[in-house]
Amino acid sequence: MTTQPRRLYIFTGKGGVGKTTLSKAFVRYLVEHDHEAVYLTFKNQSLSETHKDSNSETTVDGIREISLDLEESARTYIERRLSSKMIAGWIVKTPFFRALINMVPGFNYLIYLGRVLEYGKNNPRMIVVLDAPASGHALTMVESTTNFQNIFESGIIFDDTRKMLSRLNDPNYTKIHVVSLPSQMSWQEAIELKSGLKERTPVDVHITVNNCLYPLVEQNLKDLPSGLREKALNEKRIIEEHQSEMQCILPHSLGINSKTVELDLVGSLSKLI
Amino acid sequence: MTILTKSFEIFCGTGGVGKTTLATSRALSQASSGLRVLLITIDPAKRLKDLLKLTGDSVGEVTPVEVSNIKLDALLMSPEKTIQRMALKYHTPDLASNRIVKILSRPYGGMNEILSLVEVQMQFDSGKYDVIVLDTPPGAHFLDFLEGIGKIQSFFDQSFVELFTYLGSKTVNAGKKFGFGIINRVISGGLRKLLGYLQKVTDAKFIEDFIIAVQIIYKSKEAFLKGLSLQERLKSKSECNWFLVTSVEQGKAQEALEMKQHAKSFMHQDHFLVLNKCLEQEMSDWNPVDVKLQAIKTSLDSREKELKIILKQSFPVVLEFPEIMSLEPIEHVINLTHKWKTYVI
Repeated sequence: MTTQPRRLYIFTGKGGVGKTTLSKAFVRYLVEHDHEAVYLTFKNQSLSETHKDSNSETTVDGIREISLDLEESARTYIERRLSSKMIAGWIVKTPFFRALINMVPGFNYLIYLGRVLEYGKNNPRMIVVLDAPASGHALTMVESTTNFQNIFESGIIFDDTRKMLSRLNDPNYTKIHVVSLPSQMSWQEAIELKSGLKERTPVDVHITVNNCLYPLVEQNLKDLPSGLREKALNEKRIIEEHQSEMQCILPHSLGINSKTVELDLVGSLSKLI
Repeated sequence: MTILTKSFEIFCGTGGVGKTTLATSRALSQASSGLRVLLITIDPAKRLKDLLKLTGDSVGEVTPVEVSNIKLDALLMSPEKTIQRMALKYHTPDLASNRIVKILSRPYGGMNEILSLVEVQMQFDSGKYDVIVLDTPPGAHFLDFLEGIGKIQSFFDQSFVELFTYLGSKTVNAGKKFGFGIINRVISGGLRKLLGYLQKVTDAKFIEDFIIAVQIIYKSKEAFLKGLSLQERLKSKSECNWFLVTSVEQGKAQEALEMKQHAKSFMHQDHFLVLNKCLEQEMSDWNPVDVKLQAIKTSLDSREKELKIILKQSFPVVLEFPEIMSLEPIEHVINLTHKWKTYVI
């Protein structure tokens, strides 16, 4: 392999574009090319009053998938900062702390991102693939570190945030993939998200267009039912018009469920490195 | 299949399923039969703004719109504007000027869902509308919005009890109101310790500012608690229609089931699952000869069939909407508006 991979890949985009399948496929791609990689996602956006949860880790055919829990991530952070497991456990249970985390915008992401970076820090060979929240929330996530410079004007969190920022904003460390579908609306949103992200971070932001029917049916357009043909032609228009801004175009997978689609994608992901 | 008109209609679902498009088309179809309709969206991606071609200064204000000669009012939620309206209505100017309250009510702040509920309640109180159609935000967890109700409750029940018992004499009568005696002292001791620890991690000034903000919010508790009464309305079969939206494109049966599981405590049993972007009709007359096209048909067909089987087993009513193949989003809306009419007798 010629290109050295980054340490953190963030997949984001409008809901339903295939972020999860794509990021899992990308972890598989990395592992098949002799890298150590892990798939991370966020289990919850706020501290729940009702359900108790914890991080869950599964290994599917040698691929590590971890779903981070907010409460556990918060506890771990405080535990390290105050050097007491007991106090940390008590703090995260108090209603006041819950209100604080749930109400201050981006506090949840700050805690999560700190945890995400830990995976890379503890093992210098580890590549983290983050299946990040959908569009609007992804901006909050990237912005959260900066916001906290305004909210907290000093203190440990302030210092920690600064350290996190330097990693997240390092183009050699992080790369962001915005995933889109080949439809006008989805493309529009991807472009907006990309420019929003570029305003907030200097790292590479690339757009991948997923699930394109057109490349598969290019030669058979006349044999398609009219609606599908129109769909394929719309895709053609969007792809031709914006090709220069698309780093990767992935054809519609013939898989019949999400697992077969994931396996099917692995072979087409070298451009995402 | 008849869908009765209720005072509230709520559209929930993960992002990208066409929630905003469906909610807009539903609002239009109701408005076209002469009802006074307000469409509210909390979608941070501002789809509705693009759809209805609203300008920047209409954000946060009720704006009359017209689509193919159908008139309705639309409101793009702006937490900041809602806060300003509350401050006016309840004479609590501090609410609109406090630094921390401002941060908390940013578009992605934690007050967002709570404020949306308050806004819906205020609009309902105005008596101007027969129906309020609410397009909820996507969120990795679509129920974030519904949990807003729980958040208000726990915020006023617990954090405040703790805080005001701690602040004690500093706050007028608040301590007395919750008079817990010995427990009072234990809790307040705990909170003092908690704030001490938190100050180590954040900084002292932030905690102070946060407490002041919380006191300001507390002064407006009447408005927030009114938002709570909405919960009962939304749970009532006669007052609210719930639409859980998913799409064939996403094929996330599992998610639809989780959605149902989690939403149980928020909505009544009389709800609708809306399956958007169905290709079945389009595909039914298509019998390709080419092997590659056959594989495409099989992959599309089997994903859609599997999804429908699972959904029909789990939901009382599944409403199917076809994939609309057109470039213009507003054409999608108009098309779907007609489809809704087939569901109303």
